[in-house]
Amino acid sequence: MGETSIPSARAADEPTREVFISDDPRDLGWVRKNVPCQSACPAGTNVPAYIRSIVEEQFGASYEINREANVLPGVLGRICSRPCESKCRHGWPGNGEPVAICHLKRVAADMKDAGHRITERLYAPTGKRIAIVGAGPAGVSAAHDLSLFGHDVVMLEREQRPGGMLRYGIPEFRLPRNILDTELHNALRLGVQLKTGVEVGNGSGQIPVTRLMAEYDAVLLATGCMAASPLPLSGEWKERDPRDVPGIEYGLDFLVEMHRGINKVVGRKVAVIGAGFTALDCARVAARLGAQDVTIHIRTAEEYIPVPSEELFELKREGIRIKGLRSPVGLVVDEQGKLAGVEFAQNRLGGFRESGRRIAIPIEGSEFVEPCDTAIIAIGQQTVHDFNDLPVQLDRWKNARLGENGMTSQNGVFAAGDFVRGASTVVQAVGHGREIARRMDAWLMGRERRRQVVRISPVAEPLRERAFDFIPRQHMPTLPLEQRTREAGKEVETGMDDAAARQEAKRCYLCNLRYQIDVDRCIYCRACIEVAPRNCIKLVSGVEIGSDGAYGKLLETKEWNRVGAIWIDNNECIRCGACYVVCPVKCISISRCELSEEEM
Amino acid sequence: MSTVRHHVVIGSGVAGNQAAETLRQQDPASRVTMITTSRLPFFNRYDLPRVFRGERDWRNFIIYPADYYRKNRIALRRATKVVAVDSANRTLSLEHKETIAYDTMLVASGAGAYLPEELSEFRPLMHGFGGFKDAIRVADALPEGGHAILLGGDTIGLDLARTLLDTGHRVTLVAGPHTFWPHEVAPEARPGFIAALERMGIAVIEAANRGGIAGIAQGAQGLSPRSLTFRDGSELHGDVVMPFFGITPSLDFMLGSGADIERGLLVNPELRTTNEAIWAAGDVCQIWTASARRYTFYHGWKNVRAMGELAARNIVGAGEAWVPIQDESLILTPDGRVHSPFWEYQ
Repeated sequence: MGETSIPSARAADEPTREVFISDDPRDLGWVRKNVPCQSACPAGTNVPAYIRSIVEEQFGASYEINREANVLPGVLGRICSRPCESKCRHGWPGNGEPVAICHLKRVAADMKDAGHRITERLYAPTGKRIAIVGAGPAGVSAAHDLSLFGHDVVMLEREQRPGGMLRYGIPEFRLPRNILDTELHNALRLGVQLKTGVEVGNGSGQIPVTRLMAEYDAVLLATGCMAASPLPLSGEWKERDPRDVPGIEYGLDFLVEMHRGINKVVGRKVAVIGAGFTALDCARVAARLGAQDVTIHIRTAEEYIPVPSEELFELKREGIRIKGLRSPVGLVVDEQGKLAGVEFAQNRLGGFRESGRRIAIPIEGSEFVEPCDTAIIAIGQQTVHDFNDLPVQLDRWKNARLGENGMTSQNGVFAAGDFVRGASTVVQAVGHGREIARRMDAWLMGRERRRQVVRISPVAEPLRERAFDFIPRQHMPTLPLEQRTREAGKEVETGMDDAAARQEAKRCYLCNLRYQIDVDRCIYCRACIEVAPRNCIKLVSGVEIGSDGAYGKLLETKEWNRVGAIWIDNNECIRCGACYVVCPVKCISISRCELSEEEM
Repeated sequence: MSTVRHHVVIGSGVAGNQAAETLRQQDPASRVTMITTSRLPFFNRYDLPRVFRGERDWRNFIIYPADYYRKNRIALRRATKVVAVDSANRTLSLEHKETIAYDTMLVASGAGAYLPEELSEFRPLMHGFGGFKDAIRVADALPEGGHAILLGGDTIGLDLARTLLDTGHRVTLVAGPHTFWPHEVAPEARPGFIAALERMGIAVIEAANRGGIAGIAQGAQGLSPRSLTFRDGSELHGDVVMPFFGITPSLDFMLGSGADIERGLLVNPELRTTNEAIWAAGDVCQIWTASARRYTFYHGWKNVRAMGELAARNIVGAGEAWVPIQDESLILTPDGRVHSPFWEYQ
């Protein structure tokens, strides 16, 4: 815990009448704490700003705000894992449901003008040459930012098309390829040289990493996690590769092969083992391929599946079932050697892993068999290193270990995305690619060229009405069920119309608005406290200051002789503006606080 | 600090009421609070088909006299919804922002009708049968001799079908995997039970033979109010369409509470959840069954009441294990009718 202070009239506390840029840790800390969606976004997307632009029907501006943090808004507006929504203040107890942040990102992408102008902040050419291995989300994100920094970027991709798991791992009914192609093209069009069908490795016709190091100033490894995690079975199956049994394959291979154009066939009764996006996608693809009965078997419970509930609902609508508390322990084969079932052990729930995932503990002697003729295993993915003749240090999960500067143990070799973090989400890969690009630039140029600041600007009046708080979360329209099997590649989520989008956008509390009371002008009439819809305006004796200089806990008091200030608790505030309207002396001000980057 | 324990029971069905009564007997000095979303005090939902025999006064369905709860010092909070449970601080939050502290909590919130997700978009066109008002709505929508289409089946639906046939209505059952839920009927025995239903006067259509249900629509003017379409293009017209696909535990408020959930609240044989101060009873819980080495739901009025009593006894320290008391096998009677032991609630 840091020191405690009576709020003073320092610059960072003062309401602003003009735009200014702050690097005060209190302001940086305020944004981190008070804009939970942006803090939760691995790419650091300025969520309130892009949602506000939708209210103003500035869809192009909204798209550009997204694109500052993430070069694939139309893609992530469809398939993001939405860490922002689980932190949204609107979803906090008593506030209702979180704002549909992800769907609104898609709205910005879908509703911008056809001839929309993209804005890029270009630096002068540096003459530095960078090779990026892997054209997945991390590689593409890094390539874009590095090209903006003025470096010459060459991107090497072993598949015939760029996109990595976006193209080869995610079915078209969740991510239409025209959206992906457009955004990849926009990300790479500023001089990134994309070479597809090129394999980096040690074999004949492949390019070794050592050669890349010799020809380029830096190399970025962004090859992701392209090996399926093996299924740990017990007994006679412990030493056997389950893929030897006809009817079994790994989910990653299933999806990648399908997207390479190989016809996939499934049986009537399909068991999918796993609980992530890959498992769910495999199940939905299997249903579209004609399986009559598709069940997803998970080790813990549905509550802990790291997938948005809307995705789970759509999956169930397609007739797919989820069965929990079971770990696969063996396989059952028929006389012809074909798969006849999967043997599971009943689990009980244990504690939590460091990652926050729940632990499942198999119960001895509880084995049972689930009959099936196809099993798709999607329990995770791992990094692959045999392509690299310049081995880098790995952590205990066999992911690349990075130093402070984003570099691996090999000088000049950087790494990003799942290759560093293990199998994660697309938005994490995009965010990490961006972060590593900045560190690579700093290493190549010998200095940081950008720094994070807070842009603070005055707001004339409340931007929300209390009525907005009662708008229900808007529904994402979807394709009728019968059409999903008839047109298997057609996008399931069909997109909100503009009326629904604006309604949904109004729900955002605009947490980047900072309401402040000028204590020197306040007459302590308590009118603001009377109209506050929540316990958001408080009498305080002081405010804790955190070790980083940011404001911490408010020290509330009910004793007038100890009151140091009347304070708006922006953590509780839902930005309704009722206090601003009722204040008789107009001592409440509103300023917009946004994270921004400034040239150094 | 007070030594009087506060037992909170969530739910006022068979399990909840039995638990509250037992807690009052076993721990006379304690405070007992019962919280229910229902506006009506404890009524017997198994009795709801009586509505079709003309009994429409809710007072005839109430189990206990008006002063029962006062006399037994059970604070009954009706029309009250629990939205969250903070097991670390042993408090629960109500929808109207009130916070209640508890020493022990018994979750007996029961279950609601399960509607398969693929039919969820047609919910507004279906008639539920979960409460007294639902039953009245169905009775109002079903004219004399009217036609009820029951989707799925399940023992609640089949029980209703018996009454509807008795009262001169037509019943069509669109059968599927849930038809005899929660009974497990072997595939080879199923045709015999289906034939018995037909002998009882129920018209049975196997949904799978028509490719499954494609949709439900409002009937055109001059036709029956509801139209059911199958994937093979065939149609079925009726006055009401009612889903009976089994039940799903009502425990949204328990998410994040610290008590483990799979489909229901996971409890040990003493009916204690993975949180030491929270127990569960009735349709809401999955009980660890050592013999089968798995978590199992137990249904039926007798089982549910026994669970309520056992959980309450264990809350005050009995330490007894659950033993199911109700036979769960579906039978064919000598006169060729289907009979479920779950219907023996009179």
